[in-house]
Amino acid sequence: MTTVAEAGGAPRAARGAALDRLFEALCFGAATLLLTALGGLVVSLAIGGWPAFERFGLSFFTSATWDPVQEIYGAAGAVTGTLVTATLALLFALPLAFGIAIFLVELCPPMLRRPIGTAVELLAGIPSIVYGMWGLFVFAPWFAKHVQMPIMMSAKPGTLWETITTGVPNGAGILSASIILAIMILPFIAATMRELLLTIPAQVRESAYGLGSTTFEVIRNVSIPYVRTGAIGAVMLGLGRALGETMAVTFIIGNAHGFPTSIFASGSTIASTIANEFAEATGEAHTSSLIALGLVLFLITFAVLALARLLIGRQAHA
Amino acid sequence: MNVQLESPPETAILELPSETVKLAVKNLNFFYGQKQALFDVNVGFAANAVTALIGPSGCGKSTLLRTLNRIYSLYPGQKATGQVLLDGEDVLGSRVDVASLRARVGMVFQKPTPFPMSIFDNVAYGVRLYEKLSKADLAARVEDSLRRAALWDEVKDKLRESGLSLSGGQQQRLCVARGIAVRPEVLLLDEPASALDPISTARLEETIAELKRDYTIVIVTHNMGQAARLSDHTGFMYLGKLVEFGETEQVFTNPVTTRARDYITGRFG
Repeated sequence: MTTVAEAGGAPRAARGAALDRLFEALCFGAATLLLTALGGLVVSLAIGGWPAFERFGLSFFTSATWDPVQEIYGAAGAVTGTLVTATLALLFALPLAFGIAIFLVELCPPMLRRPIGTAVELLAGIPSIVYGMWGLFVFAPWFAKHVQMPIMMSAKPGTLWETITTGVPNGAGILSASIILAIMILPFIAATMRELLLTIPAQVRESAYGLGSTTFEVIRNVSIPYVRTGAIGAVMLGLGRALGETMAVTFIIGNAHGFPTSIFASGSTIASTIANEFAEATGEAHTSSLIALGLVLFLITFAVLALARLLIGRQAHA
Repeated sequence: MNVQLESPPETAILELPSETVKLAVKNLNFFYGQKQALFDVNVGFAANAVTALIGPSGCGKSTLLRTLNRIYSLYPGQKATGQVLLDGEDVLGSRVDVASLRARVGMVFQKPTPFPMSIFDNVAYGVRLYEKLSKADLAARVEDSLRRAALWDEVKDKLRESGLSLSGGQQQRLCVARGIAVRPEVLLLDEPASALDPISTARLEETIAELKRDYTIVIVTHNMGQAARLSDHTGFMYLGKLVEFGETEQVFTNPVTTRARDYITGRFG
């Protein structure tokens, strides 16, 4: 009678088990590598930024003063610039993205579907530096002449409207940056929305039409609620991209420190400040403050993604 | 008595007295792009009766149903020629308001299609589009529709929950409730029980039998027993043509055409 051991079963079993453990360890390593890298990133940002937090304390977050000469740094201006441009960009992009996606899925004649779909994808593939150059050399002068000047001229002196529309009429500023950002995140959101809308079963749409809905009613009452969960995710990812976008914004935001008070005023975002100054930062306070800004941006982006998760989770339960 | 065996007719279409016909189809041809799917269909659907459409897969039953409320016109490339007269008015005409047509001619599909909203809102959906009802009236309408669809007892305590949370059979009855809540004149049912278990199917059949009093019902089904049990008239379709149409009893017990006889006695299909 042949035992398992005699047949060479035991060595194979032992080797197989060892290989299995190795395999498990490798998979575990692959999975944790990214997490470790992420943790390391946060820690090194925290360490690098610590001197700034230590030196300026809470005023690093509340002060908008950014003065390399006197070595006083506060993040409030850049943080505000980041949040305002990203939010405005989202406000501009969202209705347009919805319009594009709905047109492509529900209304577009089949002949036009491919060209427009391809154009949207192409738009998503343009490098941000190209948007930046175009923004600065083409868009900003046009914007200054045809949008900014007329609005500034028509603003009544002494009104709130005048306050929030003053600025140097060169076309570079918070609003211009927001518009460029909107153009940049638009294709991304539109493409995702389109994919989402395509997941709606034909019979669900037909049922809605079958009850006598018009196209608009079907889209508003059935299509959009149907994709709501995914849409929140798409919007938040777009917002994340707008928050972190660097090159295009650096080109067109005007790069002025301090608290932006007008939509036409030059401003800065966290990313544009870091890109502009990191190479020239000499003092410890300056470098450290820029790293601290990086940490703040990381936390903002993280908060946005967490919020998206929270919203999606709540939708899934509803 | 002439006992000479005549060869059976190719088609046998019973013409209903015109005053009983709610929906009349005349010389209807239908095209998916270049491909013709219906050939010169002529048939009448009687008011307050159930008409069953039977036939092998791909014979055009669903296509015929889809012309009756013009749901096909959502898709460019699909077109119908001929006439579909609802109370004498041609619904295929270009000046017809398709949205209000579809409110008069409701449709329930093969698979349940609840909307992503609460059970109550699902049923109220179509009503809200066309009628301004008070809260109490709307609630009464929703309850009445759910009762008619034999779903009320199962959902009355959870009207605020999502329609998607119901079982498949319940979802399908929810869709029936949604369809009848708008008080259509005609109800089109496209294999409404094909995805249901036997108990849900039996419930749905009771519902349909009940609804007959108020509506004109056209049902496409693959289930011969269902067609025989439910319907007053039966149409047998084959390869895009209406081959035989008549009283259900006659079609099932004594079909005139060879094709219908072969299909019903199970020799093909």
